Amino acid sequence: MIPLKPKSNRAPVGNIPCDNTTLNLLKANDFVAKAIRDRLPDMLVVNVCSSPGSGKTTLMQETGKRLAGKLNMAVLVGDPETERDAIRMRDVGINALQIVTGGMCHIEAQMILQALDHIDLNHVDLLFIENVGNLVCPAAFDLGEDYRVTVLASTEGDDKPKKYPRMFHTSELLLVSKSDLLPYVPFSVEAVTKDARDVNPDIEVMTISSIKGDGLDAWCDWLLEKVNQKKQSKLTTQKAY
Amino acid sequence: MHEISLVRNIFRTIEEQFPESAPETITCIYLRAGELSNVQPILMQNAFEAVVQDDPRYKRAKLEVEITPILVYCETCKKTSEVKQYKFVCACGLPTKNVIQGDELLITKVEFLN
Repeated sequence: MIPLKPKSNRAPVGNIPCDNTTLNLLKANDFVAKAIRDRLPDMLVVNVCSSPGSGKTTLMQETGKRLAGKLNMAVLVGDPETERDAIRMRDVGINALQIVTGGMCHIEAQMILQALDHIDLNHVDLLFIENVGNLVCPAAFDLGEDYRVTVLASTEGDDKPKKYPRMFHTSELLLVSKSDLLPYVPFSVEAVTKDARDVNPDIEVMTISSIKGDGLDAWCDWLLEKVNQKKQSKLTTQKAY
Repeated sequence: MHEISLVRNIFRTIEEQFPESAPETITCIYLRAGELSNVQPILMQNAFEAVVQDDPRYKRAKLEVEITPILVYCETCKKTSEVKQYKFVCACGLPTKNVIQGDELLITKVEFLN
């Protein structure tokens, strides 16, 4: 059967191999990501990625405490199962909504778009998306964020940027977490910075300890600066992941 | 897991692009995946078969995956070079993030039955 009225002007013709199309496979996701950007022109959206257990939720808790009174923050947190993380954040007064992915290893833009209808975003300046703990799959999905931040705990080892290049390649900031454990583990901040900049020459690197508080002022200053920049410029640039 | 999502995205994209063509008439789908796209051909094949079991409309279709190397274009020396071991530097030694190939995930060709 010869397809009738195909959308593409390079029509598929019978069984003759034909270069009839060049379609971005994640077109649907990227389309929704753009819709999210269009819907949140004044709000800074930060997609926080890492492997499980790097301390994303603890970082969100501490960030919320420090930024209270300076700006309004909300968190969409994704996990394959349970509402535990959202509860942990609400316990410290953060406006948080759980996205249960039902076993899925990453968040897709559609889940964020739907979640926006279920969280109160009035007067929110900063929306975090705490992604599913995974350094592989979330890297491929644009969620409409302005910045992607990857958290890497000192206990995970400093060899991760080269092992998971796409994640580090697509992040603007690397946060080395659990820095209070650096004296006890074979992790070199210098080596991880070098490897991260091999895969992404523009990446910024900060070292933090959510438990001890080291580096959190610099992290919060970074966020405040980006929130202000977003409000001023109303960035609507589309990023390609 | 991620591959299952990608395969579903392939089907959704094709159905949007060729709304008048029945999926049953597709014989082959060609995918071009950059080295940076985290796509493993064998896992894509497995995911493809798994999704087709749920959606037998595509049971005639084969999947061909081509992996492309990462290429960067250096604005300074105006040269294209291949990124090896994920080190994003030009042959001239300058770091660059100007990726011109290797992060794509594209359906490059769809073959239909007569």
